[in-house]
Amino acid sequence: MSKRKVKETHMPVGECISQVQMILRERFCHQRLPEKPVGMESQHKHLLELLRRTAVHGESNSVLIVGPRGSGKTMLLNCVLRELLEVKDVNKNVLPVHLNGLLQTDDRIALKEITRQLNLENVVGDKVFGSFAENLAFLLEALKKGDRSSSRPVLFILDEFDLFAHHKNQTLLYNLLDVSQSAQAPVAVIGLTCRLDVLELLEKRVKSRFSHRQIHLLSSLSFIQYLDNVRSQLSLPQDFPDTKFYDEWNDSIKTLCEDQLVVDVLQSHYNSSKDFRSLHLLLMLALSRVSASKPAIKPTDLLEASRVCMVDSKANILHGLSILELCLIIAMKHLNDIYEGEPFNFQMVHNEFKKFLQRKSHSIHNFDKPVVIKAFEHLQQLELIKSMDSSTAKIQKEYQLMKLLLDHSQIMEALQKYPQCPTDVKQWAMSAFG
Amino acid sequence: MVRYFTRLRVRRIYKWGGRPYIFDRKLKSYGFEYLNMSVEGQEAVTTVTPGQYILIEGNDDEYPFVAKLLKLFGDESHKQKKALVQWFLRLSEVPQNKKLLLGRSPHPQEIFYYLGRACDDEINAESILGTVHVRQDNSPPGTKDTLYVKLSWDTKAFNVLDPVLMQDTSASTPPKPALPLFTPCASPTATPVSRGPVHHALPTPDPTVMRRAGSVSDTRATMSAGKRSTLEAESIHSASKLSASKILSAKRRGSAADTPGVRKKLQLSIGASECLYLRMKELRNSVCFPCFLIQVTPSTPRCATPCIPSRTVPARQPGNILEEARARLHVSSVPESLPCREQEFQDIYNFVESKVMDGTGGCMYISGVPGTGKTATIHEVIRCLQHASDMDEIPTFRFIEINGMKMTDPHQAYVQILQKLTDQKVTADHAAALLEKRFSNPAPKKETTVLLVDELDLLWTRKQNVMYNLFDWPTRRHARLVVLTIANTMDLPERIMINRVASRLGLTRMSFQPYSFKQLQQIITSRLNKVKAFEEDALQLVSRKVAALSGDARRCLDICRRATEICEHSASHPSSAGLVKMSHVMEALDEMFSSSYITAIRCASLQEQLFLRAVIAEFRRLGLEEATFQQVFVQHRTLSRVEGLQPISLSEGLAVCQRLGACRLLLLEASRLDMLQRVRLNVSQDDVLYALKPVRD
Repeated sequence: MSKRKVKETHMPVGECISQVQMILRERFCHQRLPEKPVGMESQHKHLLELLRRTAVHGESNSVLIVGPRGSGKTMLLNCVLRELLEVKDVNKNVLPVHLNGLLQTDDRIALKEITRQLNLENVVGDKVFGSFAENLAFLLEALKKGDRSSSRPVLFILDEFDLFAHHKNQTLLYNLLDVSQSAQAPVAVIGLTCRLDVLELLEKRVKSRFSHRQIHLLSSLSFIQYLDNVRSQLSLPQDFPDTKFYDEWNDSIKTLCEDQLVVDVLQSHYNSSKDFRSLHLLLMLALSRVSASKPAIKPTDLLEASRVCMVDSKANILHGLSILELCLIIAMKHLNDIYEGEPFNFQMVHNEFKKFLQRKSHSIHNFDKPVVIKAFEHLQQLELIKSMDSSTAKIQKEYQLMKLLLDHSQIMEALQKYPQCPTDVKQWAMSAFG
Repeated sequence: MVRYFTRLRVRRIYKWGGRPYIFDRKLKSYGFEYLNMSVEGQEAVTTVTPGQYILIEGNDDEYPFVAKLLKLFGDESHKQKKALVQWFLRLSEVPQNKKLLLGRSPHPQEIFYYLGRACDDEINAESILGTVHVRQDNSPPGTKDTLYVKLSWDTKAFNVLDPVLMQDTSASTPPKPALPLFTPCASPTATPVSRGPVHHALPTPDPTVMRRAGSVSDTRATMSAGKRSTLEAESIHSASKLSASKILSAKRRGSAADTPGVRKKLQLSIGASECLYLRMKELRNSVCFPCFLIQVTPSTPRCATPCIPSRTVPARQPGNILEEARARLHVSSVPESLPCREQEFQDIYNFVESKVMDGTGGCMYISGVPGTGKTATIHEVIRCLQHASDMDEIPTFRFIEINGMKMTDPHQAYVQILQKLTDQKVTADHAAALLEKRFSNPAPKKETTVLLVDELDLLWTRKQNVMYNLFDWPTRRHARLVVLTIANTMDLPERIMINRVASRLGLTRMSFQPYSFKQLQQIITSRLNKVKAFEEDALQLVSRKVAALSGDARRCLDICRRATEICEHSASHPSSAGLVKMSHVMEALDEMFSSSYITAIRCASLQEQLFLRAVIAEFRRLGLEEATFQQVFVQHRTLSRVEGLQPISLSEGLAVCQRLGACRLLLLEASRLDMLQRVRLNVSQDDVLYALKPVRD
């Protein structure tokens, strides 16, 4: 923004809104680190202390950070690293190496990545030379050369740690943990994983070398704290340029969080999952409804956003089906009722459908069999039905056994909302027998 | 520098010359006046007579062994040809740690008179490669193929050589002036003598370049030999990668230096590729070597020793008692002694010592669960033996360590062994061949090799040839190899080895029992070494707990370390923290051993908890420990109605299920099966119910 506007401290509403959206999007989408991790103070202290000892005293360590998805493992680690690197002595001393189990799918790639990130001698530009065996020998020798007091500590950060345990012989893990347990270059091995049983994946030798330090991030956040968090997430920071708008916005957020409707919506969200990632998604949807003409988040916005978040994906697909396809789905539902979830084939569905047509021939056009087959195949492509046979080539299309991937309730719900559904079809669906 | 080729491309023929005279009646051995050497299919003959200096085939093609021939003798049948020699050493053959005793950088052509007795001075005459000039002089020789000797080496120190030692024989048989009976155009297995004239034919080299070449070879000799060979491997390797134009220009340069006739014959006698290889080697050794190196270095700077950059600020030393204790309790800190493994230590020590003393070989298999001090004990044994050999109580030996986990493929074991033995970098197959040769041929001046193979089970291959070779080499007569193997399971030889491998491993076995609680306690106390940081009871609790679970010393030390941290945190001020008490240890034990499933269930969201209850309800209904998601979801919906919650949609239910699956509270089938995927509990039902109970109250 221009200087003139700073002096005025009054901006047009549109300008303010775009500022608000920028600040909040940064929080919700770009995973900006908070000032201080919420609700994990002891874990934060433990990890910081551990990494500080590696950085300052050159003590080798290994630790696992375990917690469900979205519980803030990476956030915690990044906060700790940020804090660690702010210390002057440490800043130039540590060499962080970031690995991810989803990217480094085997030890060969992981080794190349480590050598590249450590900038060892066999790296020219960004390329690593040498075969797998040479790389391993090279890295091990490099780490062996170092000693506790003189070489720079290396922080190995292994994201998706459990995937590294699936590598052949767990060579990488063995070697990293072995270095951490012997008098070589100081290293800290930090694993991030969401599996609670990760230790059982480790081979006994690898397990013995792991220090068995686990930091669990299990949020025991109460709903009150959850609400507080929502409020602070939506509030504007102190240094917002327009003070008047700042007050208005923060007041509106405060009233919003006290609204019963909003509390209900958030409660159901809290019941479903406590992680902040899904919360951010919800708030993001609500935020995108804010505009210059409506410069605040209204309870209905949040309700609408929650509806979008919670909606059943398959029911949505059902709304887009043709009447014929819907009829086939209903026929399948009846078959499921009759045969108690046993698989069916096209011929059975077609017979059921024909029976319906014979009774109510006036309401629905009599389709040819090829047309019905086409509709059936379309359903299969949408994965609303799934073939049960492993070898599809052998059996004729009409007689392949299928299963319906829809629940009773989903079908009924879709029928209610289906635009201009013929009453006969609705009644057929309701009736107990085809 | 001249190259001597030992890899036989053409067979050499050895014939006795002169009249035999009876040398020893009892052994029925005959002495001979001289030995004629010729190359198959060639006219030229080299004659070797006692008193001459000879080159003997060794492991290093470039630097064969040097010795003075004292006597030639053979048996009655004239089939076995033997020779008695006086050895000379190159500096590269002097043990690494003794090289510094020289106190100066050696001349590349300098050799040392060998006064030790560890080497067999009787050799196979058929390993003689040719003759060489050796002078005893203070000034380094001008010509390149003359070696000179100034000092003697008696395995402990360098001394000025007594001239009498050299003269007594050299006076009796003065070196023949016209040695090169071998014509220069002989063959690729050119002996130094034959190669001499070629080099004389070179134009006089520029003195500065010469100096540079000299300095390169000088540093080569002093530099750790590892670098040397990598450097070589490097240049050969990269030379092969050079573009064709470069090869051509190299060829041109090479042929300019040689007489065309020689080159032609060479090309006829050996394959083109070999010729190229030869030429590259030649080029590298000739004057243009330094400029060649400069071309190579930027692309593959692998010759540098790898190391982690050193830190700018020195590591801080431990400040208080707890920090001191923590540093001492770290697994990596090497204790002054290894308590509780005295018997095992003694057994291994005796085994290795006896083998080293006798100059024989053998295998030993050591088993034990992780963290029982197997590797540490062996390292301790080797440290003691090395000390003993420094004190000259036992002969010198080499210690080599490989680890099955630290290699990418079992066959890499050969590469690593060879690299540690000779600093050569070759492929696995070639390394196996070289090691086979090394261990099966009687080589002079051989010291015992002690090989530690850690994590043996990972060297398993389908044909088990790696294991077979490792255990077969010690049985060879001239191998002098002691193999110590480590693995975790006691019955590994019976389980995974085929008979011929297990039989070669033999029955010298040892198993390390898990530590008992008393031993663990002793280990901690000895590590702490009078640093008073723990209460006696706290130590006992840790060691009893660990001994009951695994007997893993690493675990024990880790717990103690964690306990000191907890103690430090619980104190208001770090310096005021007292001893580590029971409560701290209990907390550390809880952290490490307690399962987190129950806390995880308690911290799960309401819908997740409801889903777990639905799973249990469905299991009870079915009487099975497995249900499809669809079935569970029906239960889930009913339960949420009972609880007065709004039922969630199926998509959301699946998301809940996936979340539980991701942290492995549930075991799920692949998610593409959608609502037909089967669900199982990864925790016992009782645990789930126990975890959920307080929540409902």
